[in-house]
Amino acid sequence: MSVREVLGEEPEVAMAEERYRVIGEILSRVFRGARPLTLSDLLDKAFLNRGLGIPIFLTLWWALFRFTFDVSAPLSDLIDVFFSRLGEFASSIIGNEWWSAFVSDAICGGLGGVLVFIPPIFFLFLGLALLEDSGYLARAAFVVDKILRPFGLQGRAFIPLLLGFGCNIPGVMATRTIPSERDRILTICVNPLITCSARLPVYVLIAGAVLGAYASMGVFTMYLLSIVLALLMALIFKALIPYFRGRRAPFILELPDYARPTLRSTLTHMYERGILFLKKAGTIIFLGIIVVWLLSSHPWGAPLDQSYIATLGRWLEPLFRPLGFDWRGAVALFFGFIAKEIVVGTFAVFFGLGEEAEIEEVQRSIVELGVFTPLTGFAFMAFTLIYIPCLATIGIIYRETNSVKWTLFTVIYGLILAYLIALLIVVIGGLMGLG
Amino acid sequence: MRMPLGLAPEDRMVRVVEVRGGRGLIRRLSELGFLKGEWVRVLKSGPSGPALVEVKGSRIALGRGVLMRIIVECVPP
Amino acid sequence: MKEIEVALIGNPNVGKSLIFNNLTGGRAHVGNWPGKTVEKKEGRCIHKGVMMRIIDLPGVYSLTAASIDELIARNYIVEERPDVVVDIVDASNLERNLYLTLQLLELEANLVVALNKSDIAEGLRYEIDVKGLSELLGVPVVPTIATVKVGMEELKDAIVEASKRGVKARVRYREDIEELIEGIGDILRRDEGLIKKYPIRWLAIKIIEGDEEVMRLIEERGLMGELREVIG
Repeated sequence: MSVREVLGEEPEVAMAEERYRVIGEILSRVFRGARPLTLSDLLDKAFLNRGLGIPIFLTLWWALFRFTFDVSAPLSDLIDVFFSRLGEFASSIIGNEWWSAFVSDAICGGLGGVLVFIPPIFFLFLGLALLEDSGYLARAAFVVDKILRPFGLQGRAFIPLLLGFGCNIPGVMATRTIPSERDRILTICVNPLITCSARLPVYVLIAGAVLGAYASMGVFTMYLLSIVLALLMALIFKALIPYFRGRRAPFILELPDYARPTLRSTLTHMYERGILFLKKAGTIIFLGIIVVWLLSSHPWGAPLDQSYIATLGRWLEPLFRPLGFDWRGAVALFFGFIAKEIVVGTFAVFFGLGEEAEIEEVQRSIVELGVFTPLTGFAFMAFTLIYIPCLATIGIIYRETNSVKWTLFTVIYGLILAYLIALLIVVIGGLMGLG
Repeated sequence: MRMPLGLAPEDRMVRVVEVRGGRGLIRRLSELGFLKGEWVRVLKSGPSGPALVEVKGSRIALGRGVLMRIIVECVPP
Repeated sequence: MKEIEVALIGNPNVGKSLIFNNLTGGRAHVGNWPGKTVEKKEGRCIHKGVMMRIIDLPGVYSLTAASIDELIARNYIVEERPDVVVDIVDASNLERNLYLTLQLLELEANLVVALNKSDIAEGLRYEIDVKGLSELLGVPVVPTIATVKVGMEELKDAIVEASKRGVKARVRYREDIEELIEGIGDILRRDEGLIKKYPIRWLAIKIIEGDEEVMRLIEERGLMGELREVIG
């Protein structure tokens, strides 16, 4: 007897059937019970409802974000202040000038710069763990899948992208739930276009300085632009890049029972991911801040606009002149590559205001010194939105894709796209007489 | 009456008659329990987008493409 | 101190990571599986004078190597031959969960089944004859509720016990399939190298299914010719 004779043309399916047959026999002898209508079924009637499903999800998500940022902001401030004080203390007891500055600005600044992330990141991961453990996350993916399909993305890409609004790093890490390698990498490549919370201070700074009454609209436009570009680029990549063009992986997703998440398991998940973030991203940010300090305070004793980094800025300036950015903008963008949070502080330092300056003072300086016009300011905001993910995100992207190729791709397309869009803004605005 | 699972009405038990597709898809679906003769219930469905289906005691969401490849027998009520 | 290697496996969403944490006390070393982007978690647990190295395998529905997760899990069990494999089964979803269990038995893994979410099964008014299940599968079955750490001691006991006893479980399929397995097994047994490295019964079943990885192995060993007739 051959396999084909015994099992037919599809022996794999036949074996699957046989296994289930044996299982059925076992269960008939040791199992009793029928699947009743459960709470999960009832909950799904609401959460998966055609009309209600998405609004419910967006409300929950908005609540999560508000909670995260409202509660974590004061905590972050505390950490910030602590490390500033620590830095001051350290510099007061260290005699040598260089070491004093190194320990207080580079080391303490670096530590503070990393640890200040802990509250928002851990809260985001907490929220994510809650959504996951309760079983709700799978529902969100199901409900949103239909909307994302036309753009080449799938339901499971939704959460990583949404997380990106808080921070791109958890967003990229969350793509682990996407089983198809292709879809996963596509979602990772597009993730940096989602405007993270670190970019917001830059928008606020520039918009407040040069857009006047249209400031909040300007900031809102950035968020809109972020979503539009993410979807657009997903579409373009899917259409143009052979790797992504392959046949879609079939969408098969199990929806587990809703369960009450236990404190222990939720905290464990939050902790595991948070620690991972700190170890990987944290090291990079810390080292980055030290490098920035070194470049900006040397040659030793020289003011910022004669430091190595300023030299770099002036060297880059010609590149940015068509966009209307001067060497200060170039340097700020360079610092933003390390970590976007640093951008505002950088401008403050340029104007001799010190890092702790109030935002209004910095804005006033921008206007007085004519650093940006409304048009170039808007272009700068767009450039910041798009150009490249921060160094830590690049590190995580490398880790998650395990590929130099895709990491470089993300960095390069970001730079090119940012330049094009900023240029487009300046040119079209100029033609419309808005300059 | 035979139809793709994607067109089956909600809340009805239907019986799998055939699974069409590449080997990988057939294998995946077989492992999850979508075998000939298996009873399946549509929990949530619509004209487009994925549908939620109950098979072997668990809830599985299937995309449109997959839904149209599982052929079921729908018994009129 | 005796050292054993214990692998945890199960469907997604069965509570595997919670059981991992319960066993290892939350202290885990996290890395990646070599050359892949899938997370690998390892931890330790000492119980009754035995040191267990616990590996958390990816959550999978089956071991047909159709996805990276399945490939990793399957290769690990076949190549590393852990002393004990703990299959975590969702008691509220037995039918589908047992599919993986049967495949693990085919692999001749030294299995201990953790019947997790027993509380939920009870809430759904399911009645499970644990002893009967254990007899029919031929492996120990330990009811657990990972969320409140119920059954953990019993599970550790069962793991240590199993490490002493070794593989002995067997689930049989219908007669004509068993004959096929026997026939293919006879041909495979002539290859000494193969017997040492792989469980023959599992190879035979994979050949019946036409599993790509195994077929490639068979080609390399030059056995395709003899098997062609049986496959048909």
